[in-house]
Amino acid sequence: MKRGLVVLDPAEIPEREWRERVTALQRRLADGGIDVALIYGDVSRSDDIAYLTNLCIYWNEGILAVPAQGEPVFLTKLSPRVFGWMRLVSTLSEIRSGRNFGELAAKELGAGTGGTVALLDSGLWPAAVADEIRDALAGWNVTEADALAREARLVPSGPELALLRQGAGLLGRTVAGAAADGLSPSDRVAAVERGLRDAGFLDVLATAHDGPDGVTSLRVTGQYRYLWVHASRLAGGGQAAWPAALRRASDAAVAAARAGTTAARLTEAARPALDALPADAVADVRWVHQADMATGGEYAAYPADLPLPPGSAVVITVEAAFPDGRHAAVAETVLVGADGAERITGAGVEVPR
Amino acid sequence: MTDHDGRAGTGAADPDTAERDLRQRKVRDAMAAQGLDALLAFAPPWRRENVRYFTDAPVTGTATFALVPADGPVSAYSTRPADLHAIAAHGWVTDCAAIDAHAPAALTGRLGDLRPARLGVAHYELLPRLLADQLRAVLPGTEIVSATRLMDGARLVKSDWEIDRMRRVDAAVAAGWQAFVDVVEPGLPEYAIVAAVEAAIKGLGAEDNFMLIASGGDEVRGMTAPSPRVLERGDMVRTELTPQLNGYWLQICRSVTVGAASDAQRRSFDLFNEAVEAGMAAVRPGVTAHDVARAQNDVFRARGYGEYCTSQYTRVRGHGHGLHLDETPIIEGNETELPENAVFIIHPNTYTPIAGYHVLGDPVRVTPAGAEVLISTERKLFEGATR
Repeated sequence: MKRGLVVLDPAEIPEREWRERVTALQRRLADGGIDVALIYGDVSRSDDIAYLTNLCIYWNEGILAVPAQGEPVFLTKLSPRVFGWMRLVSTLSEIRSGRNFGELAAKELGAGTGGTVALLDSGLWPAAVADEIRDALAGWNVTEADALAREARLVPSGPELALLRQGAGLLGRTVAGAAADGLSPSDRVAAVERGLRDAGFLDVLATAHDGPDGVTSLRVTGQYRYLWVHASRLAGGGQAAWPAALRRASDAAVAAARAGTTAARLTEAARPALDALPADAVADVRWVHQADMATGGEYAAYPADLPLPPGSAVVITVEAAFPDGRHAAVAETVLVGADGAERITGAGVEVPR
Repeated sequence: MTDHDGRAGTGAADPDTAERDLRQRKVRDAMAAQGLDALLAFAPPWRRENVRYFTDAPVTGTATFALVPADGPVSAYSTRPADLHAIAAHGWVTDCAAIDAHAPAALTGRLGDLRPARLGVAHYELLPRLLADQLRAVLPGTEIVSATRLMDGARLVKSDWEIDRMRRVDAAVAAGWQAFVDVVEPGLPEYAIVAAVEAAIKGLGAEDNFMLIASGGDEVRGMTAPSPRVLERGDMVRTELTPQLNGYWLQICRSVTVGAASDAQRRSFDLFNEAVEAGMAAVRPGVTAHDVARAQNDVFRARGYGEYCTSQYTRVRGHGHGLHLDETPIIEGNETELPENAVFIIHPNTYTPIAGYHVLGDPVRVTPAGAEVLISTERKLFEGATR
């Protein structure tokens, strides 16, 4: 559950950039003949809405209505009592509250005269909510559209890059400390929570699972403002050889990463090191956009031949599955350039302020 | 969310087949009464209670499912392969498979084999169209209905096994609140309080936590996620803190002053404490949520603060607890009966002009003798340091 710092700081992302994000989406809507875009979010997945407004849905669900012209409006089932806070921590000025989304959308959009309302990234909308909207918007042409807001988030802006570097540096340093010898799984997670929330992270998803040979697999996903960073580390393990092999495989995959590289190519690069894993272990090498880390990339399509986009921030994971069902992973967040990838979750990475 | 393998000492070690069988029997009886041939529990990341009910396992996948046929073994599915070990290791469900959200073959294949005439989906209201379309495609002749209420009903009355689990959460509740009180001091930002609480409860094996907070004086109207606001001497800092341990959530609502409490803050506490006690006094098997809410609100009305029990100032007078943190709302007008062994928090949290928003409440179990408080933290207005 989201319970970390929520803040809107114009020194981090200037007001002009917030306006340009909405304007850029509105241009795409106009080009596509869309009068109003509706974007759904819930407490676990609301980054499209945050990208456009900085709003954090810390509980329940919400819909952002973005007209092709005019101000975005947030539709929520939460009480108007929280509107003041929402306005304080977001760029929103227009917020509406009601019992259900159908009524809210109908009241906001009014009777349609053949205009087009598009549900962005419609495959991820709860089908019941989408149906409710369709039923309520008489006179409107309700259509489905691509994930336009997600697409805009895939390559970070300059201010976003600065925040990603800062968040990743903090996370890398904290996770390195939590992976030190002698800590229990609970202690590792506690150390991560303390370090990252004290540093102003909004959300922390940390797991510490015991793997084979006394090795603990520590995985930490953190949300810094609305951006995601991740690192996975192996702790303990004594004499076992496979943790070092997995780390070498991760290093090789990161070294091979650059714009245009595919997961298949990363796997190839990691292969010599992965061959040193126990014969009955199954290895997987994959990458996921930071923009998809709210869901671990599990709702996006990542075919093996999908190239790494230039300028993107991605998480590269090398994971081993053992015959008893346990998993262990090493993962890094990297910035993808034309000539290589910059690892930003390293323990020694300087944290910009 | 956070989970880990820190099970030693936290009580989630051995699968209890009697509890598992009891749950499956309860749900299958309800399925039969509603003419369901199968039930599919869907869990998005923020509503995993029904999958947990059948698996007793902490899962982390973006989409997880438990499939309960009218008879035969329950099976489970996750978009995160690492979940399969967690599910199988708990022993309640051993038939589990990884799925791709874009082609969940293991799940749709099983459903295709079952071909239920009528399928209930718990949290059908939250099922993404991507997945809903694939269910409909593989079950063209099946009537698919929501089973969310069915599962809410099944979970309402806790077994002794569950009550025992919930009692154990008190250790995290107490440690979390103590960490909160210990860290409060002038100059500390709100979010640093959360960091201290999280470290304390995660060190005890808590999987997750739901927490809202507010600090300040009588201008405070409600709680939110933490801000950069720094505490000042004389502030009252309010929280609802809800650790999840071994699947079960348990909430505490308390307020602490930064330094000595003012007379107004004490008067405010006295009013809210009287309301909590009135709510508790109303508890007995078969009482309704409305009755418990009205008992609390009557205290405010009798003292001339009745308007502050409306939705302009507050939400609920409490809510159910269990594998989800916010179940049956305790509000006037909700005629849901609260049977023996239902668990809910009584919290009359609201704004009044006395000292601003005040937060106070304890989780209770319904017993034949009345309300049994499930936490050990003293119900008082705490006073923090002014270091």
